[in-house]
Amino acid sequence: MTSRPAPQLLALPLALLAIAVFFAVKEPAFLGPRNLTQLIVEFSIVGTLALGMFMILLTGQIDLSIGSGVGLIGGVAAVLVFQQGWSAPAAMGTAFIVALILWTAMGTLIVRQRIPSFIITLGGLLIFKGLFWLVIQNSTIPVSRGDQENLYSRLTTYYLPSSFGFALVAIVLVALGILTWRSRAARSAHQLANPPAVRAVGQWLVMAAATLGLVYFFNHFRGVPLSLVVLAATAGAVYFLTQHTPFGRYLYAIGGNEEAAVLSGIAVNQVLVGAYVLMGVTVALTGFMTTAYSGASTTTVGDLMELDAIAACVIGGTALKGGRGTVWGVIFGALIITALLNGMTLLAVSPEIKFIARGAVLTLAVWMDVKLGRR
Amino acid sequence: MSDQPSPTPDLTNRSLGLGPWSFEKPLLAARGLTKKFPGVIALRDVAFDLRAGEVHALCGENGAGKSTLIKLLSGIHPHGSYEGELLVDGRAVAFQHIRDAEAAGIAVITQEFALVDELSVAENIFLGRAPRRGLRIDWLEMNRRAGELLADFGLAIAPETPVRDLGIGQKQLVEIVRAMDKKTRVLVLDEPTAALTGQEVAVLLDHLRRLRAQGTACIYISHKLDEVFAISDRITVLRDGASITTLAVRDASVPLVIKHMVGRELGDLFPRRSGFTPDSLEPIISVRGLTVAPAKNSPPFLREISFELRGGEVLGFGGLMGAGRSELLLHLFGAWGHRAAGEVTLRGAAFSDPTPRAAITRGLALVTEDRKRYGLVLDQPIGFNLSLSSLPQFTRASVSLDLPAEHVRNQTFFESLRVKAPDQRARVGGLSGGNQQKVVLGKSLMTGPTVVMLDEPTRGIDVGAKLEVYELINRLTAEGKAVILVSSELPELMGMSDRIIMLHEGKIGGEFVRADFSQEKLLAAAMGRRAAGAAKDQGPRTNTQ
Ligand SMILES: Nc1ncnc2c1ncn2[C@@H]1O[C@H](COP(=O)(O)OP(=O)(O)OP(=O)(O)O)[C@@H](O)[C@H]1O
Ligand SMILES: [Mg+2]
Repeated sequence: MTSRPAPQLLALPLALLAIAVFFAVKEPAFLGPRNLTQLIVEFSIVGTLALGMFMILLTGQIDLSIGSGVGLIGGVAAVLVFQQGWSAPAAMGTAFIVALILWTAMGTLIVRQRIPSFIITLGGLLIFKGLFWLVIQNSTIPVSRGDQENLYSRLTTYYLPSSFGFALVAIVLVALGILTWRSRAARSAHQLANPPAVRAVGQWLVMAAATLGLVYFFNHFRGVPLSLVVLAATAGAVYFLTQHTPFGRYLYAIGGNEEAAVLSGIAVNQVLVGAYVLMGVTVALTGFMTTAYSGASTTTVGDLMELDAIAACVIGGTALKGGRGTVWGVIFGALIITALLNGMTLLAVSPEIKFIARGAVLTLAVWMDVKLGRR
Repeated sequence: MSDQPSPTPDLTNRSLGLGPWSFEKPLLAARGLTKKFPGVIALRDVAFDLRAGEVHALCGENGAGKSTLIKLLSGIHPHGSYEGELLVDGRAVAFQHIRDAEAAGIAVITQEFALVDELSVAENIFLGRAPRRGLRIDWLEMNRRAGELLADFGLAIAPETPVRDLGIGQKQLVEIVRAMDKKTRVLVLDEPTAALTGQEVAVLLDHLRRLRAQGTACIYISHKLDEVFAISDRITVLRDGASITTLAVRDASVPLVIKHMVGRELGDLFPRRSGFTPDSLEPIISVRGLTVAPAKNSPPFLREISFELRGGEVLGFGGLMGAGRSELLLHLFGAWGHRAAGEVTLRGAAFSDPTPRAAITRGLALVTEDRKRYGLVLDQPIGFNLSLSSLPQFTRASVSLDLPAEHVRNQTFFESLRVKAPDQRARVGGLSGGNQQKVVLGKSLMTGPTVVMLDEPTRGIDVGAKLEVYELINRLTAEGKAVILVSSELPELMGMSDRIIMLHEGKIGGEFVRADFSQEKLLAAAMGRRAAGAAKDQGPRTNTQ
C-alpha cells in the first residue's frame, strides 16, 4: 500500500550487506555461529519492540516510555518468579496484564486529555523507570530460582528441535500457499486480473527455499531460536493488522490526515488507544525476552531501547510524521540496528563511542526521513 | 456584497487600453513543453506566450495540464524535469527553483495554499523579507505596511490576525496581497477565485486591471468562464496536455471555448430534473430551532434554524461568506460546535449527540469544502481514500478486509466518476484539483447515504465535471435520496435546488421555492433584508411545505 520506490527498497539490503561485510572483515567471528545466534536473539528483541512502535508511529504519535516499560514488565515477572515463587507462566501472565493496563491508561490519557503523546510518554519513561527500580529494589533479580529452568529463563535460550523447526516452517508455508491460492481465487471470482501463476508459484518456491534453508542453517548449530519465533509471529500479526484490517487502514489514515480521518467516520480515539494497547503487548514480549537474555532483571535492562526501536522504524522507512511505513522495512531496520550494536560490542568499542554511534545512526535516519518526506 | 460573480457590470466592462501587442516580443514564451509523470503525460508539446500588459487565461478541463504548465513556468518543476524550452524576454531560462522565477519577476499563487497557519497575516505577507531594524524584525513597521496593503485591497482583516483564523476565501486574498507586493512582472494565478465571493472577485479583478494598466502581465486560470471573459485579453485552451488554440477574447465566445475544452458541445448547464413529490413522503431530516455555539459557554453562532427535507429533494443553502452554511453542515454531521438548543430528527428518530461516525451510520454524508484539509489522505492512493469511510462494508467476520471486493467497488466509483488517473493506485496528492474533488465525492457516496450534504461541490472543477456532479445530484434524488447543496454561485444554486434557504449571520434570512427564485430576492435575504415586493408573499419560513 505504501510501497517505496525501488532504489530505496534495495538500499536496506545493501546497507545491511555493507555492515555485515565491514564487521566480518574486522572480526571474522562476527559471522561465526556463536555470534550469529546472539545476533538473532538481539534482533528478535529489538524487532518485536520496533513492530509495536511501528504502529504508533504510523498514527503520527510516539512512545518514549517503552524502554523503561520493558525493564518494568520484565522486572515484575522476575520478582514474582524469584521472590514470590510463582510459576513462570503465571508471573509472565500477570506482568502482561500489568502492561496492558499501563498502556491502556497511557493511550486513554493521550486521547482524552489531548496532551501530546511526546509529553505523556516522556512522563511514562520516568515513572516506569522509578516503578521498575522500586519493584526490583535496585538489585539484581534472576528470572529463575537456583539453576532451575523455566519458561521465562528459556525464552532466549530455547531452540526448537530440528524436526520441530522444519515442521513449523512447513506448516507456515502450506498456510501461505493456501492463503495465496484463496486470494487468487477470490480475485478471479471478482474478475480481477491475477499476476501470472508461474510468478506466484515462483515466489512461493523462493520463500520456501529461503525459510527451509534458514532452518537448515539454524539446525546446523542449535536449532531455530524461540525468540525468533516470537518475532516472526509478531511480524505476521502486525502485517495482517496493518494490511488486511480496517484498523490498519485507520492507522495510516490518522497519520496521513487526522482531520480527514475524523470526518471519514473513523473512531480516531479508539484506534489510537488500540495502537497503544498493542504497544503494551510488544513491550511485555520484549520485556520478557530481554530480561531473560540478560539472565536477571537489573536496573539497566531496557535502557534506551525506545531509541533503538524508533531508529529501526525510521531506518526502515516509517515516517515520523505518520502515514507511511511497512513491516518489511521495520524488520530490515531492526536487523541493521542490531547488526551495528552487536558488531560494535564484538569489536569491543568503548561505551562512549557506542553512544555516539547510536546517536549518529538515529540522527542520520531521521534526517533521511525528513529529506524523503519532502516529496 | 453580491454573492456571485457573473452579471455585475464592472466585470463585463473590460478595459481596452492595450497596445498592438502582436508586434511586441513576448515577455514569456514556452516552446515544445512536454512534461511526463509516471503513467501520465501532463503536457505534450505545448506552445504558449505571454505579452507585457496582457491578461492571458488558461482554460481546460480538470487534469488538462494548466497547473502543470504554470508550475514549469514558475520553477516549481525545475528545469531538466521536462522537455522543451522557456524564454523570458527572448532568452532561454533554466529555473531550478521557485526563487529563480521570482528573481526573473514571475510570482505564482498556486492552487494549494502556501500560508503558514501559525503566523499572523502580516508575517505571512512579509515572510522571508520582513522589515528590520538592526537585527530585529520591525514589528510595528511590518504591521503598519501590512495594514496599508490590506486596506488598499479592500480587506477588513487586522494584520495581527493568525492566518489559522481566516476562512478559505480570506486566505486566498492574503496570498494575492503577498504576491502583489513583490515586484512582479508576471503574476500567475491558479484558480484564485475558486473560494471568493462575488464582491471579493470584483475587487480582485479591479486590482488585476490596475496592474495590467501598469504593464504587469498575468496568467489567469479559472473554471469560471464569465470571469475569464471579463478579465482576459487572450485565452489559451489546453486539452489532454496539448495546447489546442489561443484566441483573442473578442473573437471568442463561451460556447466556443467550452467546445475547444471538451472537444464536443455541451447541453443545458443546469439539468435539474426534480425527483420530488412534496406531500407523499415523511421528511428524511428535520431540524427544529437549532442553535449552535462554536464551543460550550460561548455565544451561539447559528440561531433558530429550522427546516425539513424530503427524499428526492434538493435543498440549497446560500448566503455570504461567513453566514454559517458550512458550520451548519459540519454541525449536522457532528463535526462542529456545541448544540445549545434545538433538535435534529432523522427519519423520525432523534439525532441528538452527533459524531461523524454516527452520522455516517445514520445515512448522512458530507462533502466538505476544504478537501485537502478535511477530505483526503494525500499520501495514499485513490482506492485507499475512496473506501476509507466504507471499510466495515468489506470486512469478513468483521475482522479482515475482503481486498478484492474492495478493489472492485473502488473501481466502480473510479470509473463512474471518471477520475483522470492511470489507475486507482495513483497517489491522490498527484491528482489535479478537480479530480481530487471527485475522489472526495466518491468517498462519501460509497457509504450509501440517504442525505447527501455537498459543500461547494463544484469548486475548482471544470464545466464537464460540473455537469457530471449535477447529473449525480439528479441521480441521487431520483433514487429518493435527499441532497443539501451549499453553493456560493447563485446560478448554480438556483439551477439545481428545489428550494433555497438563505442564511444571514447564522440565521435564516429567507426561504424560497423554485417559482420564487430570483437573484434580487436571494441576495436581499442573504444580506438580512427583504427585497421589495418579495416581503409580502415570500416572508422568511412561511412555506416550509
Ligand atoms: N505531481 C504529480 N504526480 C503525478 N501526476 C501528476 C502530478 N501533477 C500533475 N499530475 C497529472 O498531470 C495531469 C495534469 O494535472 P494538472 O494539475 O496540471 O491539471 P489542471 O489542468 O490544473 O486541472 P484542475 O483544473 O483540476 O486543477 C493530471 O492527469 C495529473 O494527475
Ligand atoms: Mg489545477
